[in-house]
Amino acid sequence: MSDVLISAATVPGGTGEPVIVLEGVQKFFGEFQALRDIELVVGRQEVVVVIGPSGSGKSTLIRCINRLEAHDRGRIVVDGTELGDDLRNIQTIRRETGMVFQSFNLFPHMTILENITLAPRQVRRQSKADAEASAMELLERVKIPEQAHKYPGQLSGGQQQRVAIARALAMQPKVMLFDEPTSALDPEMVAEVLDAMKELARSGMTMIVVTHEMGFAREVADRVVFMADGQIVEVGTAEHFFETPQEERTKLFLSQIL
Amino acid sequence: MRWARANLFNSPLNGVLTVVFGGFLAWAAYRMATFVFVSADWEIVRRNLTLLMVGRFDRDQLWRPWAALLILAVSIGLTAGMVGAAAADVARQRGLPVAKGSLRSAPRRFWPLILLIVVLVAFTRTVAPTFLILGVLVAGGVAVVAGQRVPARLRRFGWIVFVLGFVGAIVVLWAGGGVPWDGWGGLHLNIFIAFAGIILAFPLGLLVALARRSSLPVVRVVSVVYIEFFRGVPLISLLIMAQLMIGFLLPPSMDPPSLVVRALIAIVIFESAYIAEIVRGGLQAVPRGQVEAAQALGMSQFSIARRIVLPQALRAVIPAMVGQFISLFQDTTLLYAISLFDVLTVSDTTTSQDAFVGRGLQAVVLPCVAFLFWAVSYSMSRESRRLETRLGVGVR
Repeated sequence: MSDVLISAATVPGGTGEPVIVLEGVQKFFGEFQALRDIELVVGRQEVVVVIGPSGSGKSTLIRCINRLEAHDRGRIVVDGTELGDDLRNIQTIRRETGMVFQSFNLFPHMTILENITLAPRQVRRQSKADAEASAMELLERVKIPEQAHKYPGQLSGGQQQRVAIARALAMQPKVMLFDEPTSALDPEMVAEVLDAMKELARSGMTMIVVTHEMGFAREVADRVVFMADGQIVEVGTAEHFFETPQEERTKLFLSQIL
Repeated sequence: MRWARANLFNSPLNGVLTVVFGGFLAWAAYRMATFVFVSADWEIVRRNLTLLMVGRFDRDQLWRPWAALLILAVSIGLTAGMVGAAAADVARQRGLPVAKGSLRSAPRRFWPLILLIVVLVAFTRTVAPTFLILGVLVAGGVAVVAGQRVPARLRRFGWIVFVLGFVGAIVVLWAGGGVPWDGWGGLHLNIFIAFAGIILAFPLGLLVALARRSSLPVVRVVSVVYIEFFRGVPLISLLIMAQLMIGFLLPPSMDPPSLVVRALIAIVIFESAYIAEIVRGGLQAVPRGQVEAAQALGMSQFSIARRIVLPQALRAVIPAMVGQFISLFQDTTLLYAISLFDVLTVSDTTTSQDAFVGRGLQAVVLPCVAFLFWAVSYSMSRESRRLETRLGVGVR
């Protein structure tokens, strides 16, 4: 990474207090190198949107942050806790980090309410009543309180993804990770999920969002990170990124997608 | 008429086939009917019905098997009611069709069992058993209805009710001057071995299946060796080995366990290896994303297994488990090979009684035993298919 790029990537936005720090992170799948020397610092209350062609390592990047994938070299520090083989550190970070998946991954054998209250009760040892009360508040927030007693299979994709957001928020995380949250949705349901995410961003949540929704990036992102071939190619504000991209790779990608 | 033309005679070849097979079926049905109603002498079954059912169980203590049967019927009924109601709720909540179960549809659902009961009653020589059977049926039916009314939050204890009922039945048979299991026999012994086998083999199989996915290589290897070894050995050889070898393996100061217990040990070991493979299939059917979502929420490995993976995996393997139980029930006739007094052994000994010896009556007794097993097994597999649709197995 060039010095200019490194400084753009490692100066945290938001309040300026670093929450997520990645230093020289590398990740291999066998022979294939999925992440090359990733340097990135995300500040508190900052929204970072990661874009790039498929296979560029975007998902791997955020899956390393809560250790769904283990990085091979470099350091990852989340809110002062360093990720390593120490299981306690991993659990600490996972408690502080919410994640929303492309395929929702709701638990099909539980009601919506049970989906949301499970982790707070199991991990945070909340009482059933407390957990359910906050779950209902969260469902209000994502605008589907009336679905509380249904099963995931009875909900539309957009509703399921909003439940997934509520489920992650129920753990009161300091950071939210979104892994292509709208890619599996029918077009007419994308907006309702993006609205919930925008509301979350406005409330001051620290977020890393992997997405192909350029409108969302333009509107909400404090910084946009462009990745290709496992590397960070360009980092900048949304305005800089969409109006005056510097790198050829970025220009090519934007011309293909816009 | 139109149906016949469309389905049976829609081409010349099909027409010929219909006539040929129709003729064959009619002939077979005629031969069977004449055998059952005319030529067969059922006296041997009639005279030995008690022996077939309970073996040499002390005849002064016969109230005990009846009481045990009653307890079993009530506990199975309660469990079935609870499971059925839970499954119907799940189906309704997911918008799947719920076939209404009612007293009127019962004959259609359970006709093999009903046929079996009619046949058994036809063979009895006094009136008392008929009333006792009716009593057991009514108690079982009431238990089903009661089970359906159990509050939803208590339903997950359904399996405990069944296990308690089974243990209760053993106590009634044995305790306070009753008959220990060495003295059990006939169909009663087959049912006992099958239930005890599955109840004990299931937790063991579950453990072995989980061990197979362990991150510790030693645990994994032990589990794989266990599964592959015992799945590769015929049950009958395990049964014979257990009879001969368990005595040697124990310290000399200990009395070797009874024949029934040795057979049970062999069956539990054998079945648990199969159950482990069934459960492994269920575990693999749970998508990776489910575990990842739970991990991302910070749940512990134990919680993930207990709350996320196992409930989904076990629900997916219900049909295979019922199939395994059916085949175990039939395999209990292998007790014949180790001279335990199971229903097959009993049926064989009846043909050498003075009154019946040398008349080729195996041809009469064996179909009876076969029919017994068929009626029970077929009913179970039908009910499991019903449960499967309700739970939406295979539907996400």
